[in-house]
Amino acid sequence: MASIARSSMLRHAFTAAPIKQNPSRSASTVAATTFRTAKPLARQSFQSAFARSSIPSTPRVAAFHATGSKAILPPLPQAIRGDINDPAPVPESHPTHGNYHWSFERLVAASLIPLTMAPFIGGSLNPVTDAVFCAALIIHSHLGFQSCVIDYFPDWRVPKIRATFNWLLRAATLGVAVGLYEFETNDIGVTAAVARIWQA
Amino acid sequence: MAALRTTSRLARGFKVSPASLRRSYATVQPASKTPKTKEPALDKEAKTKTFQIYRWNPDEPTQKPKMQSYTLDLNKTGPMMLDALIRIKNEMDPTLTFRRSCREGICGSCAMNIDGVNTLACLCRIPTDTAKESRIYPLPHTYVVKDLVPDLTQFYKQYRSIKPYLQRDTPPPDGREYRQSKEDRKKLDGLYECILCACCSTSCPSYWWNSEQYLGPAVLLQSYRWIADSRDERTEARKDALNNSMSLYRCHTILNCSRTCPKGLNPALAIAEIKKSMAFT
Repeated sequence: MASIARSSMLRHAFTAAPIKQNPSRSASTVAATTFRTAKPLARQSFQSAFARSSIPSTPRVAAFHATGSKAILPPLPQAIRGDINDPAPVPESHPTHGNYHWSFERLVAASLIPLTMAPFIGGSLNPVTDAVFCAALIIHSHLGFQSCVIDYFPDWRVPKIRATFNWLLRAATLGVAVGLYEFETNDIGVTAAVARIWQA
Repeated sequence: MAALRTTSRLARGFKVSPASLRRSYATVQPASKTPKTKEPALDKEAKTKTFQIYRWNPDEPTQKPKMQSYTLDLNKTGPMMLDALIRIKNEMDPTLTFRRSCREGICGSCAMNIDGVNTLACLCRIPTDTAKESRIYPLPHTYVVKDLVPDLTQFYKQYRSIKPYLQRDTPPPDGREYRQSKEDRKKLDGLYECILCACCSTSCPSYWWNSEQYLGPAVLLQSYRWIADSRDERTEARKDALNNSMSLYRCHTILNCSRTCPKGLNPALAIAEIKKSMAFT
């Protein structure tokens, strides 16, 4: 059934796709993003010009990719908040997200080095050092991924995606914590596993 | 840190990767399609070099940005990239637009991306290799006003937000000047020379992603210039303004800033000093 409908559907999609595309959202058109005061009329004419240029006039061959390229978070049209001489807003002081966070991050990262080496230098497999090592590892990776989420999903622009990814990260961290707990209590534990793989 | 930079520069000379593996410049247009402008009368001993320059005209907003190539005789051109640009504007194409003022690396107007590196056109020598073309773009990830002119509104707004001036409540003890010891003055060396050309900020990936909230290396260097100043009495307030997840801590020590600075300053070190002074307090 689909094979009959496909060719005409594809052609339909191909001719429709570039017109549906919002020009201000595509990163390739730098002109659109730098066009500061985009009035509806100007935008309309631009859109039609874009649609015309993107469809080759002579050979109308349906391409395999019927949709336009999608850039991830393309730059928005420039928006200046307030006067150009107003200072950029200074955020409130949040030491828990600022210097305390940073210090904690560095302490955890630095503590991982001796924690990694301790069981192998000491030569003994202590469940307490193993537990501390696992906890530090989980916190370290959580902080690392949290940094990625903050970098890539700005909360002023995509607040919902930001919140979703924060909760996904928390769920993943919890999952890893439970998994490591199971591994430590019901199996041989991380350090012993690494030692075995090393010798295998 | 200075040692690190020299060694990395040496290593760059040894790089011999085959042409197929080398990454090409990101470009808005392949070189074969760029409109070409040549110098009118060429000498027999002409040393011709091609310059590919980014063009975009705000008067025709429906036109996509394009590259345009200009071929110059290097014997008739000054040694610096800015000389080449001025010569193109004077003798070949008066519509080419760029900022320039002092032509000696003091004003910071001619900051642009030359052969993939953010630098000042007036401090960048034209590579003598005439077989290779030079590519000139505006500063990356900035809104373009025209051709090579970037819009630095956000950059200046951020600079204003750190209050770049001396803040004091107490009058000078002798009623005349705010005096400073030689050691305290030394702390400002490497900071006060910054000319705010925005080369470092626009080379920072973190600033590309979060220029709305992250201040960027240039502004943080200036912030440290006032934090380190012994005469300033609002050090704690200045640090407090940076104490959130975005303003300062989006710096991930990528070090593009120190590598690109045309004045040889080290914004990454200044940011590290701020972080250090704020840690465990």
